[in-house]
Amino acid sequence: MLVAFSRPFWPLFLHVLGAMSLVGAVLATAIVSWAGWPRPGTAALRRTAFASLAVVGVPAYALMRACAQWIYSDEGWTGHGDPTWLGIGFGAADAGLLLLLVLLGLAFWWQRSGATLAARLVAGLSSLYLLLLAVAWLAMSGKWG
Amino acid sequence: MLHVTAAFFFVGGSVAAAVLNTMAIRSERPSDTAYLLRLVRRTLPVIGLGVAGTLAFGIWLWSDLGHRYGIGTGWIWASLALWVVSNALGGRGGRHQERARELAEELAASGDASTAELRALLRDPKGNAMSWLAGVATLLILVLMIWKPGS
Repeated sequence: MLVAFSRPFWPLFLHVLGAMSLVGAVLATAIVSWAGWPRPGTAALRRTAFASLAVVGVPAYALMRACAQWIYSDEGWTGHGDPTWLGIGFGAADAGLLLLLVLLGLAFWWQRSGATLAARLVAGLSSLYLLLLAVAWLAMSGKWG
Repeated sequence: MLHVTAAFFFVGGSVAAAVLNTMAIRSERPSDTAYLLRLVRRTLPVIGLGVAGTLAFGIWLWSDLGHRYGIGTGWIWASLALWVVSNALGGRGGRHQERARELAEELAASGDASTAELRALLRDPKGNAMSWLAGVATLLILVLMIWKPGS
């Protein structure tokens, strides 16, 4: 069994687990922020949006991205002639990091202030991030290109 | 691709439900608990699509790859068994959350002060264990799908 759970298993398993958990964290943030659209001052929604991203989303992103690099290194890719789906995956991950950090900052602002603008920006950006994640998983699982 | 998409819906929706449920348990006011538990319902269509899609597209994939994975492939049967276990436990965990939500809504309507009964219901180890064990079963399916023991 230990042999079966060898190197090829762990990076892929942890990469997929991280990606799926990240989708869940961003989905929870999107749900509470859209629910907060008509009442952005609700403390429970503000706390949940920030906690979901900080406690689940950021560690899940780190796991997903670190294991992506682990697989990339194991497979011997060099950046020359890499498949299209790989480029889409890395592009989505790197653009996603920026989006995740901005989202985290906005969720923190919403938690602290209860500002309507912050709630609406969190709702819009979390939905956009979900779309980006969907493109990434479709490209990678469908091996586009 | 469709099978993996369904898996993202299944696991992603379950993680979102777990986040909302955890925050509901940690809320001090029954109105907040009830509100967050109501929001758990919004994850159900996502989880439902994932549950149905993983089974339907998984069986489709299995029949397409019949030359590689025959009818006696153990890890696929184990995954199917875990899929049933995960759904059964998730359903029971969901009913426990519904009872907690109903009590929280009653308390929210009558002064919004928490009681020992609500706290006990929210932290009931048996009720919460159903949801967490459903999550463990889902995780084991993911392990089997990637490990493919014996293949």
